[in-house]
Amino acid sequence: MPKAQRIPMARQPSAVATAKGQVQPGPKWAGRAVATAARNLARSGWLLRGATGAAALVPVVALAGILAVLAERAWPAIVYNGLGFFTHVAWDPGSSYGNPVRTGGALHQAGATFGALPLILGTLGSSAIAIVVAVPVSVGAALVVVEKLPPRMANVLGLFLEVLAGIPSVVFGLWGALSFGPLIARDLAPLVARHVPDLPVLNFFRGSTGNGEGLLTAGLVLAVMVVPIVASTTRDLLRQVPALPKEGARALGLSDWEVSRLVSLPWARSGIIGASLLGLARALGETMAVAMVSGAFLGANPSNIYLPFTTIAATIVSQLDSAFTDGTGFYVRALAEAALVLAVITLVANVAARLLVRKAGGVALPVGRGI
Amino acid sequence: MSPALASTPTTPAQWPEAVDLTTRPVALRTCDLTLGFGSRTVLQGVNLGFPKGTVTALIGPTGSGKTTLLRSLNRMNDKVPKHWHQGDVLLDGQSIFAPGVQLMALRRRVGMVFQRPNPFPMSIADNVLAGVKAHRIASRQHHKAIVKARLSEVGLLDAVSDRLGSSPFTLSGGQQQLLCLARALAVGPDVLLLDEPTSSLDPISTEHIESLLRALVPALTIVIVTHNLAQARRVADQTAFFYQGRLVEAAPTARLFEEPSEPETARYVSGRMG
Amino acid sequence: MASPAATSLSGAGAREPLDLYGRPPWRRRAADRAGWAACLLALALMGAPLVSVLWGVVGRALPGWRWDVLWQPATSQGGGLGSEILGTLVIVAGVVVVAGTVGIGSGIFLSEYASGMAGSVLRAGSEVLAGIPSIVLGYVGYLALVIGLHWQFSLGAALLTLSVLTAPYIAKSTEAALRQVPTSYREGADALGMAPLHAMRRITLKAALPGVVTGLLIAVAIAIGETAPLLYTAGFTDNLPSLRWAHNPVGYLTYAVWTFYNQPSNVFQDLSFDAALVLVVMVLVLIAVSRAVVARAGRHAERN
Repeated sequence: MPKAQRIPMARQPSAVATAKGQVQPGPKWAGRAVATAARNLARSGWLLRGATGAAALVPVVALAGILAVLAERAWPAIVYNGLGFFTHVAWDPGSSYGNPVRTGGALHQAGATFGALPLILGTLGSSAIAIVVAVPVSVGAALVVVEKLPPRMANVLGLFLEVLAGIPSVVFGLWGALSFGPLIARDLAPLVARHVPDLPVLNFFRGSTGNGEGLLTAGLVLAVMVVPIVASTTRDLLRQVPALPKEGARALGLSDWEVSRLVSLPWARSGIIGASLLGLARALGETMAVAMVSGAFLGANPSNIYLPFTTIAATIVSQLDSAFTDGTGFYVRALAEAALVLAVITLVANVAARLLVRKAGGVALPVGRGI
Repeated sequence: MSPALASTPTTPAQWPEAVDLTTRPVALRTCDLTLGFGSRTVLQGVNLGFPKGTVTALIGPTGSGKTTLLRSLNRMNDKVPKHWHQGDVLLDGQSIFAPGVQLMALRRRVGMVFQRPNPFPMSIADNVLAGVKAHRIASRQHHKAIVKARLSEVGLLDAVSDRLGSSPFTLSGGQQQLLCLARALAVGPDVLLLDEPTSSLDPISTEHIESLLRALVPALTIVIVTHNLAQARRVADQTAFFYQGRLVEAAPTARLFEEPSEPETARYVSGRMG
Repeated sequence: MASPAATSLSGAGAREPLDLYGRPPWRRRAADRAGWAACLLALALMGAPLVSVLWGVVGRALPGWRWDVLWQPATSQGGGLGSEILGTLVIVAGVVVVAGTVGIGSGIFLSEYASGMAGSVLRAGSEVLAGIPSIVLGYVGYLALVIGLHWQFSLGAALLTLSVLTAPYIAKSTEAALRQVPTSYREGADALGMAPLHAMRRITLKAALPGVVTGLLIAVAIAIGETAPLLYTAGFTDNLPSLRWAHNPVGYLTYAVWTFYNQPSNVFQDLSFDAALVLVVMVLVLIAVSRAVVARAGRHAERN
């Protein structure tokens, strides 16, 4: 065999090694035939294609698997809790001292009630606060950086956003629990609570201002965590606004601000909405930071925005130990149901974000947390 | 297309009637204008007057500086990095570069239409009104009338009257360019700058825009950059030939094409250069 | 032509010349000023929390900083973060191997072979997976691996869970980097008669290396910083990580932040801040490295 042809054979170590491992040290021709076959397989590209194809299937399979596992595990809880899961406020894993009770085939602790309404409302409410605060801040900051400040400042902003996106959520939690939360309880909350007019509609913003662990603190900490996603996407979108219409607006005698408001922002609008939905998904699912500043208040809705509450994600974490002590395993199933609800909500937000941006034909959204 | 514009001058007999440029007041004038970017000088000592109510065509090979000159007439070059200039541009005798001149006011008086149509991301009607609203030129009750008037002025009204509220991006390239023209006219400029406004358009739209420009003078002073010598011939009263950053020759269009006084002009207009 | 009535609504040349020096009405100027001022305020509001977070962590951790925190094991009196740091490194190394393999493979497939419907389904699946909250992934890891497969709290469960979480990031940046590689490289390799695997390894992937490395660094940053999915899969221990796949819990840095911060003892609170500082420094280093990688790649591209 010419020398040149042997080189690629030697360069397919994995294929040859596998082949060798299976073939007995027998006649020389058999080994060569197997080696040739392996080489041809590698040459045809099927090996690379097959292996990478399998890898590409992993995320889709994982996604389906996640939903399947959650649904399967949660099923008895879904049956037991029924619609009450979405309408009741009481959350009680039942007594671990009494005898377990069997309802409809599912074994659970006596007196178990799982009403997830406060969890769901807490999840939606804290995320809503986050979005309401984070989106204007992100868009405004991105706008001034792209349109007004020198390019060097845009680099600084990029670095800022990377660091902000990279800081672990427990560190935000630590900050929220020990410096930001107390600050709100001491200064911001009393100030707002005192000046909100005495109207029944605004009662949610009045009254006791708590100790800094609560819905408002959690929402604002989440806002900080959502900013990188919205701001970096908005910055990229604004940079891609074509120069021509902006120039046309300037030639019409419009000021920089009017150009931004009339041309740049409308151009980026659907992308910004998509990025906001992505940020919403991130806020809905954020766990540690919320768990550390929420006050972990289960079983009722908070009576105002300053008081402790909880979210689905924070509950799954904070009820870790209690769930393990339920000998019937039913608490684990109830938490699986909560996780399933959370997964579905975030899934919807994610898919909506991507559909919206695809429809607009804008830039690609960042993956996940927007790093 | 409005009936007045149905016939377009396409034959020599229909070329614009020669006007005596010397007797007209000058709307805009460059005085020894030299400008560049960084270490590069793009225009060298240009002295050129644009008589009121006439069309002036700027011609010349690519890189001759004609577009740069056009863009400096309403200071669109200001935003270009490392831009500098010497000399002056006078609008009705007033320097446009003098300290205290408001860019917004200048650009209201000196409008611009670009090489490619550049509608804004808003409805067709709002496109026409963008400048009107920003400059608060008319009260809200007049807005509808202005949209109709300006769109009919450019001959676009019939085509879009049933979809004034929809996006301009569904319009054809020629219609988009007409919309941009209507938008520029709506703020009531004295001078209109056009940077190869028909280079991306089909022949029918081109013809329409050319006849429109003829209809807009004498109310307006028009400056048009074009690569198309026949277009210059068709629309311009005065033509200025640029070569390598210098104004070689400016003359009434017919004279520049028929008896150019500079050899470079002769070579260019006869098609031997460019 | 326009009717006279229409022209009077300020059409072309219908007015007396405007004053070039006429400033826009104050309302318009005020709107401009207010608009940009609001944007600058937004920028400040965005920067303030970051500064506050960094300052809060550094300012609290640095004054009492002891270097031996980095290697001392934890004790009931406090001790150090040695086993947690080691645990985090072990988990991160495992994630790089597992998520790296899956992510890079997936990125190659998406860029080189996946087209049309199949491509968009796979891509969308990967993107949506990255949007699933990490606590949900952790809980599924708990249900499926820790109790389903009886692995108990273990390195294996933690690794697989974090790998599912991070693989989409690696896939995305690998795919994006590969798409930037000019077709001529691939054609050149084909023309030389290279085997596809060889061409991919030696030519295409090499050209895309900065992007791939960036993706890996993002995955590392996430793996270092995650807590929620580990609580239900890695469990926790003060002991040094055992490197066994199943049955042995692993300690990690973020757990120290999460459990120690509200302990009554100051010693433990300090440990919580020390752990936060180590985490922040790790993230900053990763960001610096990824910026250096990108800058270096940019320099090479310019020279060519």
